[in-house]
Amino acid sequence: MTNRERAINILHYQPVDRFPAVHFGYWPELLLEWAEQGKISAELARSWGDGNAADRELDRIIGWDFNWLNTVGPRLGLSPEFEYKVLQEFPDGSRRTLNGAGLIQREKPGRNSIPSEDDYLLKDREAFETLYKPKMQYFPERVDIEYFKSFNDTRPKDIPVGLHLGSVLGDIRSMVSVIGMSYLIYDEDEELFADIVDCYAEMQYKCAEAVLATGARFDFAHFWEDICFKNGPLVSPEIFESLCAKHYKKRCDLCHRYGIDVISLDCDGVTEKLLPIWFENGVNTMFPIEIGVWGDQFEPARAKYGRGMLGVGGMDKTAFRRDKAAVDAEIERLKRLSAQGGFIPCPDHRLMPGSKFELVQHYAEEIKKIR
Amino acid sequence: MSILNEISENLQKGKAKVVKELVEKAVSDGIAATDILNEGLIAGMNVVGEKFKNNEVYVPEVLIAARAMNMGSQVLKPLLVAQGVKATGKVCIGTVQGDLHDIGKNLVKMMMEGKGLEVIDLGTDVSPETYVNTAIEQGCQVICCSALLTTTMGVMADVVKAAEAAGIRDKVKIMIGGAPVTDDYRAQIGADAYTSDAASAADMAIKLCAGV
Repeated sequence: MTNRERAINILHYQPVDRFPAVHFGYWPELLLEWAEQGKISAELARSWGDGNAADRELDRIIGWDFNWLNTVGPRLGLSPEFEYKVLQEFPDGSRRTLNGAGLIQREKPGRNSIPSEDDYLLKDREAFETLYKPKMQYFPERVDIEYFKSFNDTRPKDIPVGLHLGSVLGDIRSMVSVIGMSYLIYDEDEELFADIVDCYAEMQYKCAEAVLATGARFDFAHFWEDICFKNGPLVSPEIFESLCAKHYKKRCDLCHRYGIDVISLDCDGVTEKLLPIWFENGVNTMFPIEIGVWGDQFEPARAKYGRGMLGVGGMDKTAFRRDKAAVDAEIERLKRLSAQGGFIPCPDHRLMPGSKFELVQHYAEEIKKIR
Repeated sequence: MSILNEISENLQKGKAKVVKELVEKAVSDGIAATDILNEGLIAGMNVVGEKFKNNEVYVPEVLIAARAMNMGSQVLKPLLVAQGVKATGKVCIGTVQGDLHDIGKNLVKMMMEGKGLEVIDLGTDVSPETYVNTAIEQGCQVICCSALLTTTMGVMADVVKAAEAAGIRDKVKIMIGGAPVTDDYRAQIGADAYTSDAASAADMAIKLCAGV
């Protein structure tokens, strides 16, 4: 069987010759660490990116079958983006910058961290109408028609490839920060935030529609959100549902019409409270299910929604920082979970610094023994 | 409904302009600034904090309540200063060195201010020495460290060591929190308190400042 066939079969409760050893990439610091330890070359560490040649070479060295993050899509974001500008420089080397989404942030060269959110441009209806709405429109150039027309012939054959459907709320949060999103939700202009969400979602729907109309076929479709944190959602489930549910449904219905029945969603944090909204509107696959850092869980969702809830992820990657016994305990737990079907074990996000190279190799080898 | 209840109710709904107007009215009606602060603004934030802990409200509701609290506090601040009213405790807070993410830190700061604590915000990428020196120079009872990343949470251990080296470990309590942080980790590095959410952090800081 190819890895594509294995993945598709597992997510459809069909038999496989063995499970694929799947991962979700690495934090750059880990690869540099491994290079310093002589496990991999410095060149490989520097050049790694999801799905690129270095990624595939690392797969070979470690024993992975493939990186799950294999999606293609149209230009789903603001277009054109705002021009990146350095607004202010500080004595400690940090800089206040305007990024492509119109977010003003504090960055520090050499610090590999999510930047501090300082301010944002999208504060009122005038900013929406003049600065953002024109960048949120659908136009044909968003979709590379020729690429998608030949996609079925040119796509990788051995691994599953998904259509990226974009984001309903996560991208907008990235434009205005968590604080800005909160203020806009409760803005005096009560319709404003809903208008922003609707406008952006409509553009992304038209993009997906245009891609699928080319005849390109995908193994799954995928949303990105990152709208939860350690203690649950960043917005109330009621508000999330009122703003977003219809857009998930519309895009998922579109996918169903084109035969895509696996629709995944990547959301960091504890997702439990938003799962019903996603599930009831067409999303059926949790990814990456961060059990290690956030304590998110797949089992309760499976217990609640039954076989209709699929999963990719759920391996506590922090075990790679501990010892072989911890990794083996994870493998045993994952074997039990995998036996239910509809679930592909995968480390629950980027592998982090301190992960032991030999333990990762051991995990990849053992996962392939699951039948 | 008394005007103090009205302040509390409107603060809980995040009606910043209304809260400001009501606080101004309460002041002009002759109500003591400390009563407006404690029975209006702080009472309102306490309700929001409890609801946040119980997942009855979420981050946006906390943020808009904190904005309303801030607008009301601005009206009271000169009056409280003139009366020599002291905060219930003093905390310095920051995101640890190497980490620039500050949403959680800012939420904790807002909740602590909502409890009447004086909070010195050290910002992000804060070195262990900066925490310790600030605590010494400003007379803080609590150092509060936040981290988003597994790659940076190790700095929290360095803060504990720096406080020990500076000889202030018995005078200053160290609180930690953030996405990857757990109570096990707190025990491992010898910090004093870990809390899992911003409202609990504010409650804990009050206890630590009171020496409980």
